[in-house]
Amino acid sequence: MNDELKYIRNFCIIAHIDHGKSTLADRLIELTGTVSKREMQDQILDSMELEREKGITIKLAPTRLIYEYEGKEYTLNLIDTPGHVDFTYEVSRSLAACEGALLLVDASQGVEAQTLANTYLALDNNLETVPVINKIDLPSARVDEVKSEIEDVIGLDAHDCPCISAKEGTNVEDVLKAIIEKIPCPKGDENGKLKCLIFDSHYDNFKGAICLIRVFDGKVKKGDKILMMQTNKVFEVTEVGIFVPNTKEVNLLKAGDVGYLAGSIKTISDVKVGDTITSADNPISEPLAGYKEVKPVVFCGIFPVDGAKYGELKDSLDKLKLNDASLQFSPENSTALGYGFRCGFLGLLHLEIITERLEREFNLDIITTAPSVSYMVFKTNGDVLEISNPSNLPPQVEIDHIEEPMVKVNVFTPPDYVGAIMDLCQDKRGVYKNMTYLDKRRVELNYELPLGEIIYDFFDSLKSRTHGYASFDYEFFGYSQADLVRVDILLNGEKCDALSMIVHKDKAYTRGRELAERLKKIIPRQLFEVPIQACIGNKIIARETISALRKDVLAKCYGGDISRKRKLLEKQKEGKKKMRKIGSVEIPSEAFMSILKLNDEK
Amino acid sequence: MKNSDKEISVYIHLPFCERKCLYCAFTSFVSSEDMQKEYIKHLLKEIEKFENGYKAKTIYFGGGTPSVLRLDLLEKIFDALKTKFEIATDAEITMEVNPNSVGEEKFKFYKKLGVNRLSIGIQSLNNKTLKKIGRLHTKEEALNKLKLAKRYFDNVSCDLILGLEKEKNVVKYAKKLIKFGVKHISCYMLEVHENTPLFNLVESKKYRPLDDEAVAKSYEKLRKFLKKQHFNQYEISNFSLPNFESKHNLAYWSYDDYVGFGVSSHSFIHGVRYENSSVLNDYYEGKTYSETITNDKEIEERILLGLRCKNGVDLEKLKKMGYFLEKNEFFMQFLEKNILKKENDKVYLNPNYYAVSDFIIEHLFP
Repeated sequence: MNDELKYIRNFCIIAHIDHGKSTLADRLIELTGTVSKREMQDQILDSMELEREKGITIKLAPTRLIYEYEGKEYTLNLIDTPGHVDFTYEVSRSLAACEGALLLVDASQGVEAQTLANTYLALDNNLETVPVINKIDLPSARVDEVKSEIEDVIGLDAHDCPCISAKEGTNVEDVLKAIIEKIPCPKGDENGKLKCLIFDSHYDNFKGAICLIRVFDGKVKKGDKILMMQTNKVFEVTEVGIFVPNTKEVNLLKAGDVGYLAGSIKTISDVKVGDTITSADNPISEPLAGYKEVKPVVFCGIFPVDGAKYGELKDSLDKLKLNDASLQFSPENSTALGYGFRCGFLGLLHLEIITERLEREFNLDIITTAPSVSYMVFKTNGDVLEISNPSNLPPQVEIDHIEEPMVKVNVFTPPDYVGAIMDLCQDKRGVYKNMTYLDKRRVELNYELPLGEIIYDFFDSLKSRTHGYASFDYEFFGYSQADLVRVDILLNGEKCDALSMIVHKDKAYTRGRELAERLKKIIPRQLFEVPIQACIGNKIIARETISALRKDVLAKCYGGDISRKRKLLEKQKEGKKKMRKIGSVEIPSEAFMSILKLNDEK
Repeated sequence: MKNSDKEISVYIHLPFCERKCLYCAFTSFVSSEDMQKEYIKHLLKEIEKFENGYKAKTIYFGGGTPSVLRLDLLEKIFDALKTKFEIATDAEITMEVNPNSVGEEKFKFYKKLGVNRLSIGIQSLNNKTLKKIGRLHTKEEALNKLKLAKRYFDNVSCDLILGLEKEKNVVKYAKKLIKFGVKHISCYMLEVHENTPLFNLVESKKYRPLDDEAVAKSYEKLRKFLKKQHFNQYEISNFSLPNFESKHNLAYWSYDDYVGFGVSSHSFIHGVRYENSSVLNDYYEGKTYSETITNDKEIEERILLGLRCKNGVDLEKLKKMGYFLEKNEFFMQFLEKNILKKENDKVYLNPNYYAVSDFIIEHLFP
């Protein structure tokens, strides 16, 4: 084995959300002097404004740290990973780029749902997993208990694991030592055929698509011709480099290295996360294992508030897609909302991030419809349709049956809330699978639930019913037949397609009634009375009425103060711009998200 | 001054009150005599500084309670106005008064000065209500003063507030006022403004005004009643017998020029709107805000003002300004539903929809 490899460690940090991953990354960067104190800003790897605000990592950012240990200089490549379940595949690919993982556990919270989920991912990728207990400075820290939790629940040896406070910088040096001592160095042959894993990509306006890569065998430099094995595209390398943590061009990347590669790649879709790069002239025969096409699971319609901005919305989505290959969209036309896009996301957080970026970075006013999942519709004539927009559901007579996506859900909770969670899962049409008492204070519950119920309000309900003590994680596992119907909403007798929803038959009445009630609250009075009806097919299942507007504020233009009155009306008019017309009824844009928030007032 | 060809309406703001009504959000103060003197000094200076060469077609003393002002000080204002303006021979000169602060002596004096129209703040004819909203007069006093006023003035207007009491009362009051010979009634809906004692009362649930539905009903009842009494509704809040419209207020809605003197008063001259500061000391220092009415703003204002009164909106005028109301989808809908009426090149709001005029006007803005 090449001697140099002995001094390289490729590792990542995995943790449940809020267990302090980004803070530890910052500390490591600071401690190794990669970034001077002056340049240091909190959570340096979370480069997007939104990431810093939400305190979560969305895009991966690798960093090369140099650390001297026992007289030798080590190169430690840290690959930060997103902590959220929506990005599980991205996590798994960055894990595949490493030999080891630090498993960060909060000293007061202990093992949580994502701790376990991420550990399984790490084990799947044969990573050496090193537990680290963080936040020992908290008064509520229970270091010894958490140690035994790690040993009992996860099965990792934690007796001598680093116990640190990333926030205060306590014992962080121990982490660096553990990385060197416990995580194996990369194996690989720099003289072999080129074999690299793309574990992330992003788009640079000057350099085109940038591949973030881990080199397993061989070496790659500027001028080389490379082949993307999944897309079968050939590119000439224009630049290779490393992250310190900003990009720095180098002459060569070789086996064991983590870095980036650019090659005048114009579209990001040519760069698939998980794909293998090899030499175009001297390719390897088998790509790296584990490649998977990421498929969106949550869908919603996105429409410009101002119909004339359709083009702008399209450009913005195109730009976001440059950086985010998992975002999918296709044109959609709604009678209620006009022209827009049906967009597919990896999960609710992903959806939220994209819509927020559209509003903030691109300054767009958008209307989003309630999220939906993708249903498999089996028609009586044998056709099978995949439907993610409720209004595309064929008439009931043409449907033989419908299947909905199902997920396996793991909930971690203190024992006190088991009953409440079981009620919730029951209510969400969950199928009980298993329950394990992990220790005195932690129970793991396994359920199978329809994804459609998860995206509805599962997370919020779980949080409120367990006062935030439960954590959960889910994984898609297949489709299952269910008795589903579409509930439509009629406003003043006209169907509003953007408010249609697919729900289980047993819940149709309740949901229809709740939605009608909610719309009554949101839709302002008009000049005439507006009936709101919820129906299944032609059958009305709920009705509410918005009574007609009877009186405005009749401010007298006293003493000739006309400006005030004009400005008041201008302001109201501005507010109305955010409204949509269904027939002659004006609806505020937030009404379209209201399907989601049916339970707010309860 | 003679031969002035530019006509203008003049407003004088007199911000003095014996006591502030609980709902009042206007600029007014309970004032000492020194304060009155000081104020009039600045007011006179402001009048004096105004451009020469205007003919005053209306003069309106508003407040506050102008009838609180000492008569010698009032006379000074008249003198200043006569020096500055040519006052049209048929000029409408209105004085706002409160029943408790006027009497025969003042009426006589007003008449002598040239006042030919009175606007009396009656508000309600229910003693409990009057007390509750902080008025200093009673029903009896109001009617006595009204009777007295009628001896000196033919053109008398009264203010009523809608939304204070149960729906039909306001009709009862209007009936009574008409019996006493009132020619003009202004009827405003109660607005609960922040920073008024009434607001606090409402917030703390000590006072509950009528809900929108009831106010709207009350308004409709009043409109119907006054129509039967041959009172024309020539604006959302204003009703009069033929030829007794307030020329001064019509000037605001007809896009005519007007000048306001005094704290917080408004002017509109040559397409610019001015507003004097509503802070007394700032007003004394001459602080004024102005806004040039651009073509786009003028379009909005013409719609806003035209539809709230009998004038209507001149479609041809708007076209010349670049706005084709016919291209507004709401306009066509409103016409279809008889919410708007079109006659020749003018469009009028159906008075049945005055109560929701904001909604309609705002939808017609470009």
